[in-house]
Amino acid sequence: MSVSVAKQGHVRGAAGNSLVHDEVIYQETRDMRLLGFALFLVSDVVLFSAFIFAYLYLRNTVDTWPPVVDGKQLPRLDVAFAAVNSCVLFGSGVTMHTALENWKHGKKAAFNIWIWATIVLGTLFLCGQGYEYAHAQIGGWSGSIFGASFFTLTGMHGFHVLVGVIYLIVLFLQTRKGVYDETHYFGLTAGTLYWHFVDVIWVALFFLFYLF
Amino acid sequence: MEALATPEKIVAGLAAVLIGVLALIALKNDWKTTGLDNNLTKVLLGLMAFGCVLVIVAAFGILPRGGS
Repeated sequence: MSVSVAKQGHVRGAAGNSLVHDEVIYQETRDMRLLGFALFLVSDVVLFSAFIFAYLYLRNTVDTWPPVVDGKQLPRLDVAFAAVNSCVLFGSGVTMHTALENWKHGKKAAFNIWIWATIVLGTLFLCGQGYEYAHAQIGGWSGSIFGASFFTLTGMHGFHVLVGVIYLIVLFLQTRKGVYDETHYFGLTAGTLYWHFVDVIWVALFFLFYLF
Repeated sequence: MEALATPEKIVAGLAAVLIGVLALIALKNDWKTTGLDNNLTKVLLGLMAFGCVLVIVAAFGILPRGGS
């Protein structure tokens, strides 16, 4: 029985005491899962921090920024387009938060609308990134340290967004199959936390590449 | 010199104000909740609202851009 509880999170027994026992086990496994997920996010912070410090180090090795390549200084990135794209991503954070709140209050139809809004906005952000990659005149990935840093960090972030979009689609399918209910929805909590995390990483990247 | 008020910047600035306000309202509603997940959500919502401030700064050219 405990195996199925750990696996599905909310299996209930027929007897009353078994119900209480299952609930205790669920809460314990939920807390452990949550701690594990928080540690996963911390490890991702460490990963991004390493690349960000590498970028800052490289940036300080040159006299001018953006760097000079073949006797010509590279242009700055287009802050206006990036600002719009940032709003798309931050907006998706709000829609995901709203989706989870609706789920908590049993409004499944509203949840479906908001999670799909999040998926669409996440996909739009990725399309915006693709557009920016195609139009950024910073010398490509191997053309300069600016390009190498920019494409590595934003590419890594974009991969996280892509994983997040897939994750949200999986969560939506799980809700359709009845994996979660109004009191047992750890997957949705983790999905929301992951999505907020992806938003916050973009805050740092937006500042570093477009404002700093 | 970049243009201070392109259509993209105006759209981004207004959207950032709206999203920032919504994030702060969500933060206010969650303020008294407890638990690791809720506390983490509050931190992340606050940082997202800060991101909206950065977008407003970028959109309206309030601070000069870095670089040399």
